[in-house]
Amino acid sequence: MDLSSALYLGVTFGLFVVFLLIVIRTYSKKRKEEGERAKYRMLDDD
Amino acid sequence: MENRAYNYAIVRSFVTWSVIWGLVAVLVGVIVSFQMVEPDLNFPPYLTFGRLRPIHTNAGIYGWGVGVIFATFLYIVQRLCKTPLWSDKLAKFQLWFFNATIIASAVTLLLGYTTSKEYHEMEWPIDVMIIILWVAFAINIVMTILKRKEEQMYISLWYMLAAIIGVAILFTVNAAAVPASLFKSYSAYAGTNDANVHWWFGHNAVAMALTAPPLAMFYYFLPKSTGVPIYSHRLSIIAFWSLIFMYLWTGAHHLLWTPVPDWIQTLAMGFSVMLIAPSWGSVFNGYLSMNGQWHQMRDNYLIKYLILGITFYGLQTLQGPMQAIRTFSAFIHYTDWVPAHIHMGTMGWVSMISFASIYFLLPRIYGKEVYSIPLANLQFWLILVGQLIWSISLWIAGVLQAGMWNAMNPDGSLTFTFMETMVEMYPYWWARCLGGLVYMAGLIIFIYNLYMTAKKGKPTVNNAAAAAGRA
Ligand code: HEM
Repeated sequence: MDLSSALYLGVTFGLFVVFLLIVIRTYSKKRKEEGERAKYRMLDDD
Repeated sequence: MENRAYNYAIVRSFVTWSVIWGLVAVLVGVIVSFQMVEPDLNFPPYLTFGRLRPIHTNAGIYGWGVGVIFATFLYIVQRLCKTPLWSDKLAKFQLWFFNATIIASAVTLLLGYTTSKEYHEMEWPIDVMIIILWVAFAINIVMTILKRKEEQMYISLWYMLAAIIGVAILFTVNAAAVPASLFKSYSAYAGTNDANVHWWFGHNAVAMALTAPPLAMFYYFLPKSTGVPIYSHRLSIIAFWSLIFMYLWTGAHHLLWTPVPDWIQTLAMGFSVMLIAPSWGSVFNGYLSMNGQWHQMRDNYLIKYLILGITFYGLQTLQGPMQAIRTFSAFIHYTDWVPAHIHMGTMGWVSMISFASIYFLLPRIYGKEVYSIPLANLQFWLILVGQLIWSISLWIAGVLQAGMWNAMNPDGSLTFTFMETMVEMYPYWWARCLGGLVYMAGLIIFIYNLYMTAKKGKPTVNNAAAAAGRA
C-alpha cells in the first residue's frame, strides 16, 4: 500500500471513529436530559 | 413579553421577493412545458426552450428556494438564539444584492451567456456576486448564533450552519474557472474530472440547498404549529451527522456508466443507498412527533402541508437511492423519469414546507391573521394535485421511453427510431402542461392570500406588538 492509499484509509477510518463517538456521546444515559432539553426550550421562545 | 427588537422587516421583504421569483419560475416552467408540445411557441433567439429552461431552474432554486431560505433563516435564527440579528445593515445589503444577482442571472441567460453546467449556468461575474451574497448572509447568521442567549443549539440551527458552510464550499470549488472575457470562461477542470466535480456540486446542492434548509424549517415549524415538541432531539442530531457524513460521497451516482472510474461510481452507489437511514431518521421523527396529534391534520392546515412535505421527502429518498443503483440507472437515466423525481422533490417536498413556513410567519411578521384559511386549503389541494399529475405522468412516460429505447428485434436492430419514441411522449407532455397549470393556479391563490393578509388581515393582538418590534 502506498502512502496516499494509507492516508485515504486512515482518514476514512478516522471519520468512522468520529461518527461513532458522536453517537455514543449523544445517546449516553448521563446526557439524556440535556440532549432533549432544546426541543422544549424552542417552544417557549414566542 | 420583553420586546427584543427582532428584525421582521427584512423577513417580510425576503418573503415578498422569494414569492415573486417563485411565480417567475413557475410561469416560465409552464411556458417551457408548452414549448415542448408546441414547438411554434419558440421565438428565437431569446424566447426559446434552450434559453428559458435555465431561467426556470435557476429562478426556482436560487430565486424561490434560496429566497425562502433567507426569509426563514433570518427569522428562525433570531427566535432560537433569542437575540436580534447581528447586523440589520448587512441583511438589507443582502436583500438588494440578492435581487440584483437574480436579475443579472436572468438577463445574461436570456442573452445566451452560459457555462453550460447544469444548475451552475451563470458566467463568472455572477458567480462572484453569488459568493459575495452568500458570505454576507453567512456572516450575519454565524455572528447571530455566536451572540445567542440560549446555551443549547436546537437542531434547526445545525442544519442551517451545514447549509451555509456546505453551499459555500461546493459553489466555490465548482466555480473555479479561467475567464477568457467578461462573459466567457473555461472550467478549471478537464474531462471526467470536470464532470465529477460538477456532480459533486450538483448532488450536494440538492443536499445543502434543497434538503438541509427545508429540514431546518420542518424541525422548527412543525413543533411550533402543533404546539408539542419533536419526538426526539437526539435522533435528529444523529440523523443530522449521518447525513453530513454520507451525502458528500454520492455525487457520482449522476455519472453511472460513464468514463468516471468504476470505484467512484460504486462508492456513490453504496453511500446513496446508506442515505436512506438519515433521511428516514428525520421522516420517522416527524411522524412520531405527531403521536396523539394526528387530528391536527384535519384541524390545522399548516400540519397538512408539513406532513405531506415530509412524506414527499420520504418518497424522494427511497426513489433516489433506487435510481443510484447501476442496473436501475441503466434503465431510467436520460428518460423523463428523472424530471418526475426532481419535481416530487421541488414541488412536493421543498415547496410544501416553504408554503407552510410562510403561512406560519405571516401573522408574526405582519401582526395580522392569515386572510383566508379556506383559500390556503384550496391552494393545498391544487398544488398537491398539480404536482401529482406532473410527476405520475412523467414516471409513466419515463418507463415507456426506456422500454422503447431498449426494445430490440430478433436480428439485434432497434425496434423503434428515436422519433417514434418522441411522438409517444406527447400525451404525457400535455398532461404535464395541465399539472403545471393546476399548480400555478395554487400559487396564484397563495400570492392573493398573502397580499390580502398584508392589506386587509385582521390584527392579531399578540403578534402585532412583536411585528412592530423593529419594523
Ligand atoms: C437519498 C436521497 C436522494 C438520492 C440518493 C437521490 C438520487 C438521485 C439520482 C441517482 C439522480 C440521477 C438520476 C439520473 O439522472 O439517472 C437524481 C436526480 C436528481 N435529484 Fe435526487 N436523490 C435524492 C433525493 C433528492 C431530493 C430530496 C431532491 C430535492 C429536490 C432531489 C433532487 C434531484 C434533482 C434536482 C435531480 C436532477 C439532476 C439532473 O438534472 O440530472 N433528489 N437523484
